[in-house]
Amino acid sequence: MSGGRNTKTGVEGAAKKISGGRRFLNFLGANTVPIMFIIICAICIPISGFSPAYLINEIVTRMGRNTFLILALLIPIMAGMGLNFGMTLGAMAAEIGLIFVADWQIYGIPGMVLAMILSIPISMLLGVVCGKILNAAKGREMVASYIISFFINGIYQLIVLYMMGSIIPIKHTTVKLPRGYGIRNTVSLLNMRQKLDDLLAINVKGVKIPVATFIVIAILCIFIVWFRKTKLGQDMRAVGQDMEVARAAGINVERTRIISIVMSTVIAGFGMIIYLQNMGNLSTYSSHSQIGMFAIAALLVGGASVDKASIGNVFLGVMLFHLMFIVAPSAGAKITGDSMIGEYFRVFVSYAVITIALIMYETKKRREKSQMAELLAAEQEGEEV
Amino acid sequence: MKTKMTKRMLLFRCGTILVLLLIAGLMFLIGRGHTVYFDNKKAEYNGQTIETPYRIDVYVNDERVGKLSSGDRGMASWMGQNFKMRLEITKEKGGKKQIANVALKLPYNMDGIILNLPAMLAGLPEDAYLSEFIPAPVEVTEEDNEVVTDEFGLEGLEEGMEESAGE
Repeated sequence: MSGGRNTKTGVEGAAKKISGGRRFLNFLGANTVPIMFIIICAICIPISGFSPAYLINEIVTRMGRNTFLILALLIPIMAGMGLNFGMTLGAMAAEIGLIFVADWQIYGIPGMVLAMILSIPISMLLGVVCGKILNAAKGREMVASYIISFFINGIYQLIVLYMMGSIIPIKHTTVKLPRGYGIRNTVSLLNMRQKLDDLLAINVKGVKIPVATFIVIAILCIFIVWFRKTKLGQDMRAVGQDMEVARAAGINVERTRIISIVMSTVIAGFGMIIYLQNMGNLSTYSSHSQIGMFAIAALLVGGASVDKASIGNVFLGVMLFHLMFIVAPSAGAKITGDSMIGEYFRVFVSYAVITIALIMYETKKRREKSQMAELLAAEQEGEEV
Repeated sequence: MKTKMTKRMLLFRCGTILVLLLIAGLMFLIGRGHTVYFDNKKAEYNGQTIETPYRIDVYVNDERVGKLSSGDRGMASWMGQNFKMRLEITKEKGGKKQIANVALKLPYNMDGIILNLPAMLAGLPEDAYLSEFIPAPVEVTEEDNEVVTDEFGLEGLEEGMEESAGE
């Protein structure tokens, strides 16, 4: 009796061991990218020679600068539209708002707020256009949004380079090109530089904490958590899980998807303004170009995937990705004697992370499909027998 | 029910737009920035010459923005129209400092404003000490015009084609 019980306990233990091991493997599989980044950072930090205080200061600054932008990616993922490369459109809308604000000489936080308000209609318009195109390209949203961002970039360049100053009134000589129309390569945002970051900022052992910026980020996080529970948020999740089922349940799938892109674009616009106020200047023709790529890479580094992302992924991603950004050039310089290696490394890693995430997503999708097919075949066989 | 909802939605949207416009208007008003230039230079008004003090220290937001000897110019950025500054005036070398707190309304439409401090301290009317700063026109150079970069690596393509045609 007791022997039998022992045998049973032994089997249960083995099963537990197997499930524990499998669980660990599953955990590793699901968190490959963050674990890889933790290892890279753990190797690079001591080599780089940066002090912990310096690294913490840099990470806090970069968290304040980038988190809002990355949070903009969560809503389209919730709606099953994948990584929104079209967030660049919001960034462009924000830049147009900032150009006007710089021309009208509106300083500080009022300038930021005004730029945000100006960016809303532009972001909404671009979001609707993008959403409609993405509805026509269902299943290929990411590549479509990536190409849309290039297309809208062309229109942006046309407006900024040729229409501003000639058709659209721009009077300030520090903003306008000397030829009389077009915007300068760099627009100074010195009068709003770090105004939000400095508001309520506290200094803890040499680390400046931009409290107001973090409050703004916290408000957006709370909004996202609340939004997921609303009717529209639930609709988005339903659409994200299965469009056909959602449609059968009476949800207007197309409209819901457009709203998710519009929201993402508007939030990205706000995020870009927070980003640029930290930088203190605007590279008119290039500030927005890499934003989408780096935001997406940071989110993926945080352990998100094409179809699943959380606020936790955003924070972990910003920390790990930017830690790598800070230490890689210095570590590269120490190892090879050439800092450019580190620079190349961080850019290469950004693209690599996105590629890995896309491959993993496609593999998972195919595996699920084949599993479903096997299950269906087994069921049919069972019926025949 | 549907009509009622639509009306409510319409009202809500109009209300949101109105609120945003109001906030934008407010931001226009309170966020308007000016660059204020302070001159410690001789001023002429109605044939009267106002002499400059030996030195004026200008404080804006408790920060010294100018230490102006006779003939000097300083500057500061200011947000809004209600400008305040503190002046520490030294009339003669080694003399005692006199403190003057100045508050004045800046004209909304001027980006750059020049304040002639001796004229202002002499109590002259606004047009005697306040004028608009007009930046000197910038010469257009070829370099300034070149802003478009060729990201497709097509630069020099025409030259290359010409060369190959020549061969």
